[in-house]
Amino acid sequence: MLRSDHILATVEMIQKENLDVRAVTMGINLLDCRGGGVSETCRRVEDKIGTAAARFVETCNKVSQKYGIPVVNKRISVTPIAFVGAGFDRHGFVELALALDRAATAAGVDILGGFSAQVEKGMTATDREYIASIPEALARTTKLCASINIASSQKGINMDALALIGQTVKDLAEFTREQSGFGAAKFVVFCNQPGDNPFMAGAIHGLEEADLVLNVGVSGPGVIARALDRLIHTRGRENLGLDDIAEEIKQTTFRVTRCGELIGRKVSEEMGIEFGVVDLSLAPTPTVGDSVGEILEILGVDVVGAPGSTAILAMLNDAVKKGGIFASKAVGGLSGAFIPVMEDEILAAAVGSGALCLEKLEAMTCVCSVGLDMIPIPGSVDADTISAIIADEMALGMINNKTTAVRLIPVPGKEAGEVVSFGGLFGASPIMPVRNVGKSSRFIAWGGRIPAPIHSFKN
Amino acid sequence: MGKQMVMSVMSKDRPGIVADITGTIYQLQGDLADLNQSVLCDYFTMILIATFDDSVTPEDVVAAFSHIPSETRLEVVVKEMKIPMEIAKAKRSPETYILTAQGKNKSGLVHRISLFCYQHGINILDLATTLNGDQYTMILQLDFSAVESVDDIRTSLTSSAEDAGLSVVLQHEDIFKATSEITLF
Repeated sequence: MLRSDHILATVEMIQKENLDVRAVTMGINLLDCRGGGVSETCRRVEDKIGTAAARFVETCNKVSQKYGIPVVNKRISVTPIAFVGAGFDRHGFVELALALDRAATAAGVDILGGFSAQVEKGMTATDREYIASIPEALARTTKLCASINIASSQKGINMDALALIGQTVKDLAEFTREQSGFGAAKFVVFCNQPGDNPFMAGAIHGLEEADLVLNVGVSGPGVIARALDRLIHTRGRENLGLDDIAEEIKQTTFRVTRCGELIGRKVSEEMGIEFGVVDLSLAPTPTVGDSVGEILEILGVDVVGAPGSTAILAMLNDAVKKGGIFASKAVGGLSGAFIPVMEDEILAAAVGSGALCLEKLEAMTCVCSVGLDMIPIPGSVDADTISAIIADEMALGMINNKTTAVRLIPVPGKEAGEVVSFGGLFGASPIMPVRNVGKSSRFIAWGGRIPAPIHSFKN
Repeated sequence: MGKQMVMSVMSKDRPGIVADITGTIYQLQGDLADLNQSVLCDYFTMILIATFDDSVTPEDVVAAFSHIPSETRLEVVVKEMKIPMEIAKAKRSPETYILTAQGKNKSGLVHRISLFCYQHGINILDLATTLNGDQYTMILQLDFSAVESVDDIRTSLTSSAEDAGLSVVLQHEDIFKATSEITLF
């Protein structure tokens, strides 16, 4: 039997705290779409996505209406495209990108991920052509997202690929110069990339997945922030310890995750597609009151980046996982707190005031999800320095057996402190200064591989 | 299969009243099915369903209840059920919605909401309200099986409630189960 206080707690969460399901992402296997040539493959890809996702957006909207909980983004992820286009040259990959973009538009989804490759150990000739196609592919499409896995705890870091990627990020920004380098915001570099993550830009439909699968991304930093505000207000700061705070985060995450799983399972039931995982990440949006940075400030640092920020984030990340894992039958993807600078108003403000620097962000990514995400840097930063920043972040993921990722935007023609805005969910931020630019070229010039780390003697 | 009866009892509350009522039914060799009781400001009320032998009449049950001691007189109503309980239960709609309405207390609030439900073909399955200071809270469990568009109901309900100074939230029952119960899917 439902109790009144439980009902009212849930009503509070829905009414005042803007509970939503951040993303329902439909994974589609494209390995069976390979035709004799580029145009036939493109046609098959469009056909398969068109058929599989025909009722997808409509079904999400129907379920969302029935339950009164908005599904903010409807997305598609596909098999990493370098596998689908094996043997194609860069022009072939651009054609594939355009076909995927058309398919995403026809299906009515917000975004499509999976223009991707997995090169953590070595690169094929196809992989090199794929990498060369990225700037043009992303500049000529609107709904497409790209990602590449260049490192893993099992295989080490592919430094040859890494050297190419620094230049790719620069070229991407240059190709989309008119939009302040927006192309780079649609490309993310991974270590230990999961195959079932519903969040963009890094969503792919991994090779280990079934033909079609539905993954759900629940979020809700706003819900957690309001729950903590209420707890502190009703019980009094002096009567609370951090264990009480962690418990509140855990219980709130439980409720948020349950709603996401309910919506996801109903959509998958209606469509007759296997339900995959719930990814219970705290993904901020530029909307006021939907910020991970705000939670850190509520928990006791006056500004994000101050000493203590990493410890608070560690506790937050862990409590989110604990609440979510108990709530859901199947948890996967990234599952933790995200700190994408441009998408989080409080983080962006901390960059603007000089409180939050790249090195502190790097430290914070050791204890939370993803990594150096959505960070605008001066357009003048050279490719090798970008590669080296990525290498550091990859090393964190490799050694700590976790997913890390980098999404840097070298904004053409702009310097540190100037503001860049992409609008919508991509947000805005002052450009972050990068220290020690141009001092890592000898390291990047080595190439080869950083060998896989030892998996015992962990201290 | 015997005779199913629905009984309603109201009295001033005291310890032992449930034991007395169920003991009386036991002595009449009745078999209890569903039961619901509530205490509001020291007054006790209970509605219950039980199966008796064909020879037992509603009058016999009322007479047996009259021996139960109570500070106020025990108000009892007993009716024989026309439709067997299993069939009545099977009719229950899977489309159950929970409506909460909160606002500053004034007279006519419950009437306004219940009239709205009636006018839109919505049956109220359960209703609980509380007054806390000057804040009035209603929680209703509603049968939406006759409703065609939840969105339309939500829109007109919100505007009707706003006129009365009430803020309303209408959600499917599944959401509350999902957030409040451990076992679910």
